[in-house]
Amino acid sequence: MSTRALRISHVGLRGIVGNGLTAAHILDFASAFGTFLDLPATRAPVVIGRDPRLSGLMLREGVISALLATGHDVLDLGVVSTPVIQHAIHRLGSPGGISIGASHNEGSWNALKFLGRDAAYLSTAQATELLDIYHLRKFRFVPFNELGALSRDNTAIDAYLADLAAAFDFERLRKFRVVVDCCNGTSSLLLQRLNEQYGFSFILINAATDGRHFAHSPATNARTVALQLAPLIQPLQAQAGFLFDVDSDRVALATEQGEPVSEELVFPLVADHCLPQAEGRVVITNLSTTGLIEEIAARHGGRVLRAPVGRQAAIDALSAFRPGQVALAGEGTGAIMFARFPYIYDGIVSMFTILEMLAARQQPLSAILATYPRYSMLKGEVPLATTRIPELLMSLQEEFTGGTMDMSDGLRMDWPQTMTQPQRWFHVRVAQTEPIVRVICEQRGAPPHDLFQSLMDHVRSFS
Amino acid sequence: MSVREHKLKVGVSGVRGVVGEFLTPALTTALSQAFGTYVGRGRVIVGRDTRPSGEMILHAVRCGLLAAGCEVVDVGILPTPTIQVYVAATKAQGGIAITASHNPPEYNALKFFNAQGLFCNTYERGELIDLWHQSSFHHAQNAEMRGVTTELVAPKKLHFERVLSHVDVERIRRRRFRVGLDAVNGAGSLPSVEFLTEYLNCELHAIAVDPAKPFPRVAEPRPDTLGDLSKLVRETGCDIGFAQDPDGDRLAVADETGRVLDNDDVLALAVDACLARLPGDVVVNLTTSSVIDDIAARHNRRVFRTPVGEANVVERMQRAKAVIGGEGSNGGIIFPAVQYCRDSYNGMAFLLDLMAASGEPVTKLAGRLPQYTRMAGSVAYQHGRLAALMQAVEDAFIAPHVDRSDGLKLIWPGHWIHVRSSNTEPILRFAVESTSEAEARALFERVKEFAA
Repeated sequence: MSTRALRISHVGLRGIVGNGLTAAHILDFASAFGTFLDLPATRAPVVIGRDPRLSGLMLREGVISALLATGHDVLDLGVVSTPVIQHAIHRLGSPGGISIGASHNEGSWNALKFLGRDAAYLSTAQATELLDIYHLRKFRFVPFNELGALSRDNTAIDAYLADLAAAFDFERLRKFRVVVDCCNGTSSLLLQRLNEQYGFSFILINAATDGRHFAHSPATNARTVALQLAPLIQPLQAQAGFLFDVDSDRVALATEQGEPVSEELVFPLVADHCLPQAEGRVVITNLSTTGLIEEIAARHGGRVLRAPVGRQAAIDALSAFRPGQVALAGEGTGAIMFARFPYIYDGIVSMFTILEMLAARQQPLSAILATYPRYSMLKGEVPLATTRIPELLMSLQEEFTGGTMDMSDGLRMDWPQTMTQPQRWFHVRVAQTEPIVRVICEQRGAPPHDLFQSLMDHVRSFS
Repeated sequence: MSVREHKLKVGVSGVRGVVGEFLTPALTTALSQAFGTYVGRGRVIVGRDTRPSGEMILHAVRCGLLAAGCEVVDVGILPTPTIQVYVAATKAQGGIAITASHNPPEYNALKFFNAQGLFCNTYERGELIDLWHQSSFHHAQNAEMRGVTTELVAPKKLHFERVLSHVDVERIRRRRFRVGLDAVNGAGSLPSVEFLTEYLNCELHAIAVDPAKPFPRVAEPRPDTLGDLSKLVRETGCDIGFAQDPDGDRLAVADETGRVLDNDDVLALAVDACLARLPGDVVVNLTTSSVIDDIAARHNRRVFRTPVGEANVVERMQRAKAVIGGEGSNGGIIFPAVQYCRDSYNGMAFLLDLMAASGEPVTKLAGRLPQYTRMAGSVAYQHGRLAALMQAVEDAFIAPHVDRSDGLKLIWPGHWIHVRSSNTEPILRFAVESTSEAEARALFERVKEFAA
């Protein structure tokens, strides 16, 4: 079975350009968004920006046309990260924005991500309305003399960095020697400006942003970090290495010893530093993220709330709390949202938070990581006919018992520590883009090979 | 009798519609992607007139072309003939002009040009429309995606230098003509000011040359829509006044008294100036005045007649290797030595050249043309009634020469009647011409009775 090359969901529109995602989809979806957004009395513009993928040029043209046709003024920020767009929406009082870029997906992909008045991703209720408009294709096109106007602004990155400089002690963080793998994405533009205007000395690799050539996959995990970034750390005597995906909302890292850090550790690490300072005590994560997060949160009196996998579930979980109650939200892909730059996945903020932590602790990264107890995670995948999924999940419930069950996204089962067995859990769920069952299990301490094996055997018996 | 309003028309030269409900971004992008697929990956020139919807349509066009893997060369706001010249001169794969020409401001349209900078012919258009209907587009993937470049200066320069290589520029410049201009705030606004002042050293008195403002008058330049130009010419004592349509392909002319010339006479003067310089025959449409035949006869040249429509005239001109052609009634002068397209700049250059060569005022030049009385009208007809109507006219007027290549043209020595259906709307157009004013009036009234 082939990978689905077009995904239309509450998160927006995503696909392989020319092979699934076409100009027609862009026009219709952006027209739906222009219809969905109120026309503001202030005529504040809808803010758009893109990552450097070449296909982003085509997407941008369609987005501009559709927004103008639905009566919106448009402000084009050019090639910027998603957080810079969100920052501009806040700053300008915009009715919303569109980020053009496929984040951690390969270069052949592209996507539209929709942002609302509060600069957050759309809630499920809002996204449902947008999808309804899209599916009905009844758009509110305005007459010729009420069309919007297009303007450009290339100062958005500067305004964003100025606020970032106010949030972090740049004076103190400048001294770090850091190597960054930009994955040919927007982080390159931000970090170059930090070097030129704020006196940082980030060493950048894969910093070219021609949009055609990508040095390697922009997936933010230890495997990608090991490709080019990790081997450079010791020769360059750097204190850390960071890797950003193309629109720099996610981050992965390596220690000063050139060891790739498991992507599972990034969120607990950041939480360990942020929780003591944060006003809120709630930490939001997904069902597949490491149990270490609970242990770290508990150290600081925090409470972990687990939501189904995917950005939309995190957004909805966040919206259940008052501002200030949530300390941070994130997952094992290096995507983290902070209270201090509210509700934005921002890899740059993640990086500065980790640097701030190194400065505060006066310890190397590897030493901080060594203070965490060992958790061992095993992951597997099994292709499975979609029709058999409900049956599989029911049989898993019968087979694996005695723990706490969560069925909000596939099946998760948690067993607490006992006299004979350490704390462990598993999560079996269906991938969003393919008919594949993902199996994850984790144990505090040594890897849970027995549990993993019996889970895999069980799932395979349905394939 | 109710007649449906055609708010979206897939027609002779492209696709035209009322912006908003009809000419939507998605439709524009799909058509542009079909065009990009049709002409093949490579450079496509895109320009537009000054309509408020131009920017919105432009981005939809760029989106469709990029999606098809084309490289977009955006030439900004320019007259349609300038875009056509640039397509041909730069060996682009094709071009798109975003303009509804003389139509009201709520309309916009796409005009498609092939690699020669010509309007796509009937067969090319058929293939293009089929691709569109089938949605059989090329979909470029990231690695083959091209970008957008802008080229705002070169096209205009190239066009003007070509136009002026066929007249005596120094002689015109020395005269320092006082010229009135009404560019309807269209694509010609800035280029025409530059053309007349920088290139031709005229003392310019211009109105409606702000491309950021709406059209101040009916977009089609006709005697009855150019009151402001007449006034300008009288008040500033101009030698001549020029008026353009929003995309600068059509031209109307006022003499030094402010009287707006009949468009057929403008064409006749341009033909006269051209034939005085160059060998070759003339092609005009069936509705164009017999004054063209008289002028051509003076130069001992032939005149070929075609159905109405720029494409028809151009195709016949290519076949006949004509030196000049046009469509009198709508102010279109086609001079292939520059480009096979209607071009108001050729008209301006030829008229100023004629004035400079003769030293005579426009009234005098026009006065020397053979005098005809021309009358034209139109009525909406009910669908299905057209054939019967034509038959009735043909039965009622017995003529020695009948031409059925576009509606019905009945020709007698000294006068003619032409009745035809509009290419774009269910409207019957009729025109009569005679050497005698009384006869013209009488014929016109009789034809009108039939059509009503």
